[in-house]
Amino acid sequence: MATRVQTQPAPAQSGWKWWTNLSLARRRTILGYIFIMPFILGVLFWVVIPVLVNLYLTFHSWNLMSAPRFVGLQNLETLFKDPILPQSLKATFLYTILSVPLGLLFGFFLANLINTNIRGISIFRTIFYMPSIVPAVANALLWAWMFNTEFGLINAVIRGLGGAKIAWLQDPNLAVPAFVILSLWGSGGSMIIFLAGLQGIPDVYYEAAEIDGAGRWAKMRHITMPMISPVFFFNLVIGFINSFQVFVIGYLVTDGGPQNSTLFLVLYIYRSAFQSLKMGYAAALSWLLFAILLILSVLIFRYLGKRVYYENPGE
Amino acid sequence: MAGNNVSRRDFLKAMGASAAFAASMTQLGGKLMAMPHRQDVVGISFGGWGGVAEDEGVRAAIEVFQAENPGITVEWQHTPDAGEYNRVLLTNFAAGTTPDTSFIIADGYETYVAQGILLDITDQITADPVLGQPDYFMPQEAARCADSNGRWHGIGSCWVGHHIYYNAQLFEDEGITPPGFADDEIWDWDTFISIAKQLTIDSAGRHPDDEGFDHEDIQRWGVDWPMTWWQPVASAAHSNGGAYFADGRIVLDSPEAMEALQRLSDLIYVHHVAPRSASIADLGMTNTQMIDNGRLAMAVEGSWALSWMNSSLTSVPIGTGALPTMGQPACVLQAHFHSALANTQHPEEAWQWVRFLSTPFYQTQFLKIGLWLPSQTALTTPEGLDTWITEGIHPSNYRQFVSEYLPTYGIAVRIPPGYVEAAANFIDGALQAVAAGTLVADVIPEAVRQANDVMAMAQL
Repeated sequence: MATRVQTQPAPAQSGWKWWTNLSLARRRTILGYIFIMPFILGVLFWVVIPVLVNLYLTFHSWNLMSAPRFVGLQNLETLFKDPILPQSLKATFLYTILSVPLGLLFGFFLANLINTNIRGISIFRTIFYMPSIVPAVANALLWAWMFNTEFGLINAVIRGLGGAKIAWLQDPNLAVPAFVILSLWGSGGSMIIFLAGLQGIPDVYYEAAEIDGAGRWAKMRHITMPMISPVFFFNLVIGFINSFQVFVIGYLVTDGGPQNSTLFLVLYIYRSAFQSLKMGYAAALSWLLFAILLILSVLIFRYLGKRVYYENPGE
Repeated sequence: MAGNNVSRRDFLKAMGASAAFAASMTQLGGKLMAMPHRQDVVGISFGGWGGVAEDEGVRAAIEVFQAENPGITVEWQHTPDAGEYNRVLLTNFAAGTTPDTSFIIADGYETYVAQGILLDITDQITADPVLGQPDYFMPQEAARCADSNGRWHGIGSCWVGHHIYYNAQLFEDEGITPPGFADDEIWDWDTFISIAKQLTIDSAGRHPDDEGFDHEDIQRWGVDWPMTWWQPVASAAHSNGGAYFADGRIVLDSPEAMEALQRLSDLIYVHHVAPRSASIADLGMTNTQMIDNGRLAMAVEGSWALSWMNSSLTSVPIGTGALPTMGQPACVLQAHFHSALANTQHPEEAWQWVRFLSTPFYQTQFLKIGLWLPSQTALTTPEGLDTWITEGIHPSNYRQFVSEYLPTYGIAVRIPPGYVEAAANFIDGALQAVAAGTLVADVIPEAVRQANDVMAMAQL
């Protein structure tokens, strides 16, 4: 009777043996890299490579159809001659200057409103936060209707009060303010962060102030504001970066109109790339956006960062 | 122990190897996808856009084509929106994965031709026993498809043009004779304004010329005429003796074209017979809904809208009539093209498919549902009309529209290279300003000058 003798280990066993022969430190290292690999690959494929391609395209003319052609600094020179770019920058800065401070104040105001212990406060908190989770496309379509000149809800209220209809999204002077109002509807995100900040302020400060005779305003100014200034600073930086990258509402509600008054910089980059077929110039515009964000972020940290109060600055 | 750790160099090597492996797998995957299923069958791809009806129509056409041509299979790559499809096509160019055949938007056709990315099919058309017949296409079609050297790089899918849609019940109730397509049924501009005023009422039932009329509280508008898209504006310009494009330029700054555009704006701000809207999207509801619910008496809209703005789908009977004339009747025509891409590996099979799309079978599918107008002469004859005019969708005077009005007053327009960029950056904004009440003379000349500079660059 023949007996089959297995002389070679099965492949799986071989792999397992190789693994078990590794030192514990090495195994942990390999496992660690495997676990962080999704993030690393994501950064590599969606950040590092696109940035390098973007840098390459900045010095080329490419219409997506024929091969890229080296043009040196031509795309960067166009930045200074483009008649549309000043309008796009104006729309972006105006939107940022209006929406970020108002958004901060509105979020802070709402946070103070819901920072109480009345019955059913969790329901109010949910209601105030809900607009923040409305999908961006639904948000855009909803507000396009709200601002509609003839049938919009806002003009219906204005007409009910005896006023004339306002061409919110057709008047180039009103389109950006209309978008600022729209942005305030989504203040629930900053509101929650403010609320967390408010609830992190120990009551003892307020109690001590009350003993000293401080009123509501004095407590707000001398306790709440300093204690919550890191939260203000955080919301300011995040809001500022987000507002400079505004795209969806401009794309869906007005498509940059009327008269390019809502042609935000990211929308202009998109238009340059896929309507004007100037990928090289779009790449140059995106570097301009990066430079603006970088410079303004440095300025904000340098001049406003010093004014932020940190209870434990060393940590 | 430190020697057992994976060094940064090892890690980077592993990353590089992984990236190379992923890239090779992508290449391999692409090659496998591109391989025909069987040795004797050639697979070609066909990219395009459209709603449910167009999607179903293309799928039905593929079934018939494949049955007639067992050696060719067609893969339909569908994107719902035309604008989005154009971006998909462009990114496919960038990635080197363009389909063999494709819809080409009318706005971009000239640009693509200039770039040399569409297959020249002139010789195939000329040699074809059916499509090569001199009168196979309507005369305007050759002017639309062929370049200055007479070369065809695509075949127009059909024609579409603007006309009036109206609430027929309202006209009957008001005792107003509606517009039609016969010469004596086409309104002049003054008649059009007069009737639009009769049909416009505020909440107190007053008309625009009545004492106390409140134009802030209009309950029913006489008409809506979209003003920020080139085609309905071009029809008005041509009707007034002007044009939108000429010799590769925008000529919207001619006195005739500017007067026509100002007349459209005056519908809103002088005569108060049209809602304040630059486009249908601005209305807050569709023009079909507005006609259906009594908020609008007439809509100037493209012929394609008949597929949903027809008596079988609305609660009021819908009639159609020609655009009013400012001097001469005019209806500007356009439609997307069907083209084979120049880099296709299967030019003969791609041509066969493009050819099939230009046969009566394919066009008739969409004629029947009111989406298209025929660009093939045979479909405009009495016998041809019988094959697609559909009761409940096409009003009774639609035969006259197709067989008499369009051959006489239809104007096929070629859109020059660079127009998409010029329009997005300059013309659209100027038209929006006009729609918002700015005088045409204050914005159009400068916008046209800037737009023509862009187009001149695109044509270098």
